[in-house]
Amino acid sequence: MIRIVSIMLIPLFFTLPVYAQQPAAHDSITELSAVTVSADSPRDRMMQSAYNRQMIEGRWVEQNLAGSLMQSLESLPGIQAASIGAGQSRPAIRGLGFNRMIVAEDGVKHEGQPWGEEHGLEIDQFTIEAVEIIKGAGALRYGSDAIGGVINVRHGKAPLRNVEAKVNLTARSVNESLGMAAQIAGRRRRFWYRATMTLVDYADTQVQADSVQYYSYYIRLRDRRLRNTAGKEQNAGLALGYEDGTFRTTFLMTNVHAENGFFANAHGLEVRLSSIDYDRSRRDIDLPYHSVNHLKISNHTEWQSGNWRLEAHAAYQQNGRDEYAEPVSHGYMPIPPNALERHFRKETYSAGAELTYLWGDRHALHAGVEAERQQNRRGGWGFIIPDFKTTASGLYAMDRILLSNDLILTAGARFDRIDTRIEPYRDWYKTPLADGDSVYQQRAAQLRRTFTCITASAGVNYRLKSWTLKANVGKSFRAPIPKELGADGVNYSLFRYEKGAEELSPEESYQLDAGIHWSNGRIECMVEPYWNYFPNYIYLNPTSDYREGLQLYTHTQSRVFRWGLEATVDGRLSDKIRIALTGEYVHARQLSGDKEGYSLPFSPPAEATLRLQYIPQTAWTGDDGFIALHYRIVGRQYAIVPPEKPTDGYHTLALAAGRSFRWGRQQLRITLRVENLLNATYFDHTSYYRLLDIPEPGRSMSLMIGWQF
Amino acid sequence: MLLCILIAFVAADCSRDGAKDIETPAIDMSDSRAFPPNCATLRRSETFIFRAVFTDNQALGNYNIEIHQNFDHHSHSGEAVECPAEPQKAPVNPFIYNHSFSIPDGLTHYEATAEITIPPDIDTGDYHFMVRLTDRAGWQQLKALSVKIE
Repeated sequence: MIRIVSIMLIPLFFTLPVYAQQPAAHDSITELSAVTVSADSPRDRMMQSAYNRQMIEGRWVEQNLAGSLMQSLESLPGIQAASIGAGQSRPAIRGLGFNRMIVAEDGVKHEGQPWGEEHGLEIDQFTIEAVEIIKGAGALRYGSDAIGGVINVRHGKAPLRNVEAKVNLTARSVNESLGMAAQIAGRRRRFWYRATMTLVDYADTQVQADSVQYYSYYIRLRDRRLRNTAGKEQNAGLALGYEDGTFRTTFLMTNVHAENGFFANAHGLEVRLSSIDYDRSRRDIDLPYHSVNHLKISNHTEWQSGNWRLEAHAAYQQNGRDEYAEPVSHGYMPIPPNALERHFRKETYSAGAELTYLWGDRHALHAGVEAERQQNRRGGWGFIIPDFKTTASGLYAMDRILLSNDLILTAGARFDRIDTRIEPYRDWYKTPLADGDSVYQQRAAQLRRTFTCITASAGVNYRLKSWTLKANVGKSFRAPIPKELGADGVNYSLFRYEKGAEELSPEESYQLDAGIHWSNGRIECMVEPYWNYFPNYIYLNPTSDYREGLQLYTHTQSRVFRWGLEATVDGRLSDKIRIALTGEYVHARQLSGDKEGYSLPFSPPAEATLRLQYIPQTAWTGDDGFIALHYRIVGRQYAIVPPEKPTDGYHTLALAAGRSFRWGRQQLRITLRVENLLNATYFDHTSYYRLLDIPEPGRSMSLMIGWQF
Repeated sequence: MLLCILIAFVAADCSRDGAKDIETPAIDMSDSRAFPPNCATLRRSETFIFRAVFTDNQALGNYNIEIHQNFDHHSHSGEAVECPAEPQKAPVNPFIYNHSFSIPDGLTHYEATAEITIPPDIDTGDYHFMVRLTDRAGWQQLKALSVKIE
């Protein structure tokens, strides 16, 4: 009986994203060797969950440290990072991003900004202990939005010593970025604490171009730098915890603050020749820029007793965003009194609990309940989305059935209800009408919509000798966001007029995920194909009409079919040499509507990566000194939708080397990375700057020095 | 096992499908009859006729003309030659013109003409003259000209 329970407990805690937030010492993943990408072997992972799930340890993030967390994760198959300059990026799983996937921190859904393509994730990547990635429908546990998958970031484990400290220093050449991350943690018997602080400062990004052609404008770049893309980040966090044999609780408070300039010549309604001398310094942040702040206070508690286990979480999150731009008149809008173009303050309260019961030898039953309340208040002279309030609640139940050690079934269902209220908004200036009168035009009407959705999924894991097979079929959904329902205004960043549609229905997605894995101990091969159908994909459709002098984009729904796969071959040629080849491909097609036959916007091109790693294990490289080479080949993307441009393929080479030095309890770790070693000029089809015809950065060196005791 | 990788590449190749419109429409103002040319001077109280040739590979959509002041020299035109500018000044009663025009359905070639009257009491000086054109698929082309109003 005890054996069966433990067999079931392992998959149980790993299947659901809400697992032990602070794992006990014995399953510490950092104990693994520096070269191990995942905490568990792919074969075990295949049996643990019917989903396509991958665990990434913090060490791996450090070794692959790019400009942002998502850029670091991009080299994983099926993960894309739409870069927004060198310092930020927006994640996507298999081409689905923004609100078609979820980023969670320790199982709590991370709230992003209520609008905008040009801001990234407000997560401090230096404090990450591990990242769990679920590709495919994760709706059962996370509810709305988890269509493409879930990226669950885990922060620090409970410290084991009375006091321990860690300092990381980073430098990166492409945007002259300098960073410092420090943390101190300690334990007094059952109580522990951890305080973290991160500071990053970077200059204007260098790109592989002397000039940029934007719409019909020709913009010269000085020193090949995107003027005014400098920025800074200041983060702080405090965690307090208690744990004993059956009970654990953690209070977490984090604040992430960032300021970024926007590429000065391509923001606002027109290409501007401002009187601001942008080229006087490459480290200053001039108009236009934004300042974002994300505050999170959360608690996560687990209690275990016999066959029962209870997990609960509660969180408050506040997203603040202020966008500043030079005040200019546009159309009938006079020159605004100040530079505050847009202000948003989004507050989210959420809570949830999950109960697990081990029933007999074969069943692990889970049931959960979740509730969330969200409110957004806007300000500033530029209107894009109205004020709104959203209340959401969800209920789910799931059973994991162990038919034998080699055959596991999983099935579950979930009910969600989401209520959205939009408040009306009128212009602050008058627009003349044809009859000579003038009015404060209404941009958003009062609106209340309630969405309900039932989702379900079922999966199977089967093991036969060297083969592991799995399949999961599921339905997921997302409720239309207020921007899609109620937008009615000019998107000043992208020169277009965006109009919402009040009548949108919840977007539904049906997906079949499969996984085939084969291993002989030295070589592992994995193929993960998927098929995905949306009866009503919400799509921002560029029309041929004009509204207030700008092209009108309307939110519409169309049928969409997608399929794709990721494949990996991973071999250990010897103890010292490891070689891995990964590939990914996704194909999307709109089956109805105005853009029938077209793909979806920002469809990632096919790509393959070859990774070679050599650990010499000599006296001067230490036992973990490594040198790694990544060769990435990306196909062209000609499956485009207006206003995208076809993007040619490219290949890049990256090199990384590092090792650690130990004396006593102290450890010093040095990692050097060179990205785009061949200094190739290429465009990333999914990048925000692709529409502006701005190529990606050239060769870039980064150095990380970490010290801990 | 190499099969896995092969599948990915074979699959990548079969994604090409034709027929869809992936070309932007074109605005041609190079003809001598086209009006206004870059750096043209327009007069208050007068009516002029905008002329341009629009083409598209499949079907044109609509077009828009917008005229707004450039007293602060906030941008430069996409044309190779920059026009001599007057000193910067603050707007008092600037000319604001923003009008959309439809193009008959299904045309791939269209000679656009539009009558525009400049009111007598607006501010003189540097202005921007923007032409925007869509095709039915939603592609857009832009042309930005600098003009002077006397």
